[in-house]
Amino acid sequence: MVAIYITLLQVFILSSIYIKMTSEDQDEKEKHSNWLNAHYDPVAGFYTFSTCITFADLNGDGDHKLVIADLGTGLYNMTIKVLKGTSIIQENTLLDLPTGVTSVYMDLAEPRTPGVVVASGSGLFVYKSMRPYYKYNLPLLPVLPEEAVLWDQANNENLDPLTLAEALDGLKKSHPTSSFTARTSHFLQIENDADARQFVDDHKHKPLKRETVITCVTTIKKSMAEDDAISCIVVGTEHKQVYIIDSEAFTPLQDYEIASVPVIVNVSGLFDVDFRMFAACRDGCVYVLKKDSLQSRVCIELDSSIVGMERIHKHLIFALADKTFSCYTTRGKQIWNLQLPADVLCTAVMDHRAKGFKAVLVGLDNSEVRVYREKNLVDIIKLNDRPQALCFGRYGREDSTLVAVLASGALQVMILKRTAEYADHSSHKGPPMSQKMKLNIPKKTQLFVDQTVRERENGTKMFQNFQHDLQLMRLSVAQTYLKGLQSSMTPLSDDPSMPLKLSATVRGIGPVFQMLLTIENTAAISLNDPKLATGLIVLFKYSDTIYSIKPLVLELPALAPEISYKFAVRIHCIASDRPAQDTITALIVKRGTKKPLVTANISMPVSEGVIVV
Amino acid sequence: MMDPMFIALSKYRRRKYGECVENCTQILDKNPYDQAAWALKAKALTQQVYIDEIESEEQGIAEMLMDDTSIAQFARPGTSLKQPTSASIGGPSPAVRPVSQAGRPLSGFVRPGTQSGRPGTMEQALKTPRTAQTARLVTSASGRFVRLGTASMLSHPDGPFINLQRLNYGKYAAKPNLAKVLFEYIFHHENDVRNALELAAQATGCAQYKDWWWKLQVGKCYHRLGMFREAERQYKSALKQQVMLDTVLLLGKVYLRLDQPLQAVALYKQSLEKFPNDTTLLVAISRIYDGMNMIEDTTKWYKEVLISDGVNVEAIASIAANYFYTDQPEIAIRLYRRLIQMGLYNVELFNNIGLCCFYAQHYDMTLKCFERAVAIATDEQLADVWYNISHLALGVGDNNMAYQCLRLAVAADNGHTEAYNNLAVLELRRGDVERAKALFRSSAELNPLAYEPHYNQATLSESLGDLQTSYSSVLKSVEAFPDHVDSKNLLVKLKEHFASL
Repeated sequence: MVAIYITLLQVFILSSIYIKMTSEDQDEKEKHSNWLNAHYDPVAGFYTFSTCITFADLNGDGDHKLVIADLGTGLYNMTIKVLKGTSIIQENTLLDLPTGVTSVYMDLAEPRTPGVVVASGSGLFVYKSMRPYYKYNLPLLPVLPEEAVLWDQANNENLDPLTLAEALDGLKKSHPTSSFTARTSHFLQIENDADARQFVDDHKHKPLKRETVITCVTTIKKSMAEDDAISCIVVGTEHKQVYIIDSEAFTPLQDYEIASVPVIVNVSGLFDVDFRMFAACRDGCVYVLKKDSLQSRVCIELDSSIVGMERIHKHLIFALADKTFSCYTTRGKQIWNLQLPADVLCTAVMDHRAKGFKAVLVGLDNSEVRVYREKNLVDIIKLNDRPQALCFGRYGREDSTLVAVLASGALQVMILKRTAEYADHSSHKGPPMSQKMKLNIPKKTQLFVDQTVRERENGTKMFQNFQHDLQLMRLSVAQTYLKGLQSSMTPLSDDPSMPLKLSATVRGIGPVFQMLLTIENTAAISLNDPKLATGLIVLFKYSDTIYSIKPLVLELPALAPEISYKFAVRIHCIASDRPAQDTITALIVKRGTKKPLVTANISMPVSEGVIVV
Repeated sequence: MMDPMFIALSKYRRRKYGECVENCTQILDKNPYDQAAWALKAKALTQQVYIDEIESEEQGIAEMLMDDTSIAQFARPGTSLKQPTSASIGGPSPAVRPVSQAGRPLSGFVRPGTQSGRPGTMEQALKTPRTAQTARLVTSASGRFVRLGTASMLSHPDGPFINLQRLNYGKYAAKPNLAKVLFEYIFHHENDVRNALELAAQATGCAQYKDWWWKLQVGKCYHRLGMFREAERQYKSALKQQVMLDTVLLLGKVYLRLDQPLQAVALYKQSLEKFPNDTTLLVAISRIYDGMNMIEDTTKWYKEVLISDGVNVEAIASIAANYFYTDQPEIAIRLYRRLIQMGLYNVELFNNIGLCCFYAQHYDMTLKCFERAVAIATDEQLADVWYNISHLALGVGDNNMAYQCLRLAVAADNGHTEAYNNLAVLELRRGDVERAKALFRSSAELNPLAYEPHYNQATLSESLGDLQTSYSSVLKSVEAFPDHVDSKNLLVKLKEHFASL
C-alpha cells in the first residue's frame, strides 16, 4: 500500500512542474492527449542519439535513473550524465565520442546494481555506482606484415619519412584502406617533411597496433531471462565483426565475421540456451547470426538505408531513409509496408508491460512522434522540435515514461496516462476523400445554347469559311516565316551545320544595364565529330543617340554543343534627359558571310535617369 | 483691343496653356504686381504638367522591398497584397489562368501595378529579367517626379517663374486666394514637396485648422514624402470636416501602402453610402480585390461599376478576361464586342475576340479577327498574336503551322517565355532533344516565376537520366505553383530515387 502511495505522489510532483511550464495552448492540446508533459527543459543542451540513452536502476533501490552519454560539441566535452527527476546528479567526462550506452548486471551481488557500459572508440568503459570500474579494449586486429616491416625500418632509421610515405602509399593500392593501422593513416595525412620526421620520432617506442571502432553495443542475457539476470555484452565493429563479451571476466565468448559494417544489432534468446542476432548493416541488408554457426546469412535486403530496426516478438520493424516503415518476419518475408509523411530521425520500442503490448515509436522530421501498434497508427505526439533521440521505459518510479532529446538540445519527459487506450485497429476506412470533391465546371449559359443553334443551322458554311481562312492564314504564316528565315530574323538558326540559339536577358535599373547573352550550340553531341561552332562574332544594332554599348563587337570562342555560353555586354543609356527606351538587335554573324545566322530583338526597359535632387 | 487679361483667361479656359502663359507674361512685364495675372500664369503652368494624384501610383522596387511601413511582415493570407490568395483558397490557379512575367495572374486590363507582382526579396527583384513590359521603377518617390520637375525647368531657359528660395511663405499663407494657387504650382510644377509642405502647414495654421482643403494638401505632401501615418491623420481630419471623394481615395491609398487592403475596402464601402454608385470608388474596390487575387469579388465589384457606368473599359475588359479564363468564352465575346461598338480598335481586342471565338466554336470569325490583329500589331504585340495563333494551329492539329507561329513569336519578341516553352515541346516532338533542352532552359531563365518550363525541364531531364537537374528544376516548379500535382509527384519520385540504395 505504501508503495502505491509514493508512486502517486511522484506523479503529482512531476505534473505540478508541468502546470507551471505550459501555456494555454498546450493545455488545450493536453485534453486530447494520452501523455502528461512532465518536464521540459529547453536549454538542457544535450547532443545525443537513441543508442546513447538508457534507463538504469543504478543504486538498486527501484528508483530508475536516466543515463545519457552526451556527445558534447561533437569534438570535445563528451560526458556521461545521470539524471534523477529533473536534475543531473552525476557527470563523468568521457575521452572519446560515445557510440552506445547500455546497463548490464555483471554479478550476483546484493543489492542488485547494474554496471553502465559506454562504448567509445575501441573500448568499453564500465562504470559501477557511477564510478569508473573497468576498461576493456577489444582484441587487436592483425597488422599487415608489409606495413609492420616498413615501420620497423623507419624506427631503426633505415628509412627516411619520405620513402616511408611513398612505400605506404604504394601499399595502399593493393590493400583496402581499412586494413591499415591508425598510425599509417595519420602519417599519410602529414604534408610537411619536418612534421613527418617528428611523427616518426614520437611513435618510435610505441608498438604498432591496429584497433577497431565500435559501431553499436547491446546486451544478451546469459542463462536466465529475468530482468536482473547476468548479461553478456554484444558489440559490432567497424571491421565487420560482432563480438559477444562475457561481462564477468571480460573475455570474448564468440566472434562473428559478417559481410558489411553492422550499425544496429538486435538480440533474442539466451546465450547459454539458444539465440539469434539480427545485425542491420550499412549496405541495407540484415544478417542473421546464430549460436551454433559462425556463418552469417542475409535475411532481409532493403531498398534504402536503415534508420531504425526494432523487434516486436517475432517481427522485425524497419524505418528506412526513404520514409518507408515496414515489417518483416525473421525469415525475411515482408508483412506490411507504410509510407511515413516525413523523414525518420529515430525509433524506439514502447514496451508497455502493464497493458501487455509493444508498440514502435517513430520520431519524424516534422517534430512528430508517431506510435504504431502493428501497422496501425494509434497516437501522434507533437514535440516542440525534431526529436533526435527517444527512449521509453521506467524512469523514477513511473513505469511508462518517454524521454525525448530534441534537435535543439532540449530534454522533454512525458508520462503515458493510465487512461490511455491504444486500440488495435486502424481509424480510417472507406474511399479516399478526394472522390467526394466536386469539380468546378461552369454551367451552360443561354448564350452557349443559342450559339449551338446557329452552329446547327449554318454548320457547312461555317466550316467552309473556317477552312478558307485557315488556308489563307497558313499561307501568310509560311510567307512571314520564310521571310524571317531568309533574312535570319529569328533567334534560332535552322542551318544544320550550325544550329545556334540566342537569347538575352537584361539586368540593372539604368542608366547602365547589363545584357546577358546566352548562346547555345544545339547540335547533338557525337564522338567522332566535335561539331564546334567557330569563327562567330556578335554585333549589335541600336540607336546611337540613346545607347552606347561596350564591347561593340563580341568575338565568340569556339562553341561546343550542350554548353550554354553566357556573355555580358554593358549598355549605357546616354539619353538621360528624357525617359528613353528602344529595341536593341543582337546579330550573330559568321566571319566572311554577309547574312547573319541568328538575330534577337531585345526590347530594353525604361532607364532610370540619374537622379539629381 | 480686347483686354489682355480676358484673352488670357479665355485661353486658359480653352486649355491653350502655353499661349495663356505668354499672355500673362506680357501683362506681368508691364505690371509686375498684377496678382490676377500672376495667379493665372501659375495656374496655367500647373495645368501643363498636372497629373492626377489619385490615378498615378506605381510602387518602385525600393518602396516594395525596403518597406517598413506595412503593419504585419508576415500577414495572414487574404489580408495582404503581399501574399496574394493562392489557388487552394479561392485564388486563380496558374494552370488555368496564366501568369505575367512577374508572376501575377494576368489581369484583363493593363494599368500601373498589374504587370508586376510583389517580389519577395531584393535579389529576386533585381534578378527578374527586365524587359520593356516588366521593368519597374526603382522608386516612385524620386525619379519620375524629379524628372517631371526638371523637364519643366528646361523649357524656361531664363530661369523659373517663381523663385522658391526667396518666397516669404508666411506672407502668402495669409492670403488664401494666392496661397492655393501658389501651393499647386509648387507641388505640381516645381515638385518641391518640402516647400509645398511648409506653405501648406503655415496656411492651414492661418485658416485656424478649419479648412479641409489645406489639411488634404498637407496630407498629400506627407503622402508624397512617405510619411503615411502623418498623412493618414491629416486625411482623417479633413474627412471629419468635409467628406470629399479625393480625400477618401487618397486615404485608401495610404492604407494600401500600409498593406491594409481590407481596411481600404472598408473605407471605400463606407464612403459608398455617402456617394452611392460612384464609379471611382467602385473601381478602386475592384482593383484592391484584383490585387489580392480574389477573382470572384473582383468580378462582382466590376459588375457594380458597369451598373452605374456602362462604358467603363476597365470593368468590361476585366470581366471579359475573367469569363474567358473560367471557361465561358461566349460571354467574353459579348463583352469584347461591346468594346468594339464603343469605338475601340486595337490589337489586344481583336486578338482576344479571335481567341474567344475559337474557344466558343465561332470558327468562321476566328481567323478574320487574328488577321486584323496581325495587320495592326506592333512588334511586341505581334509576338502575343502569333503565340495565340499557334494555339489555334495546335487546336486544329497543324503542328507545323504552330511551330512556325511560335518561331515568329520568338522572333518578334526575344523574351516571350511562353513561346519558348511551347516551341521546346514541339521540338521535342520532332525529336530534337538538344534544342528542346536549350529552349526550356531559356524559357525558365526568362521567367523564373512560371512553373511550366521548370516542370517540363524536370520531366525531360528525368527521362534523360539527369536526375540532379531534374530535381533542381522541379523544386523551382513547386515553388512557383505549390499545388501542382504533377510536379509534386515527380518530386516524390525523385526523392524515392535518391533515397534508394
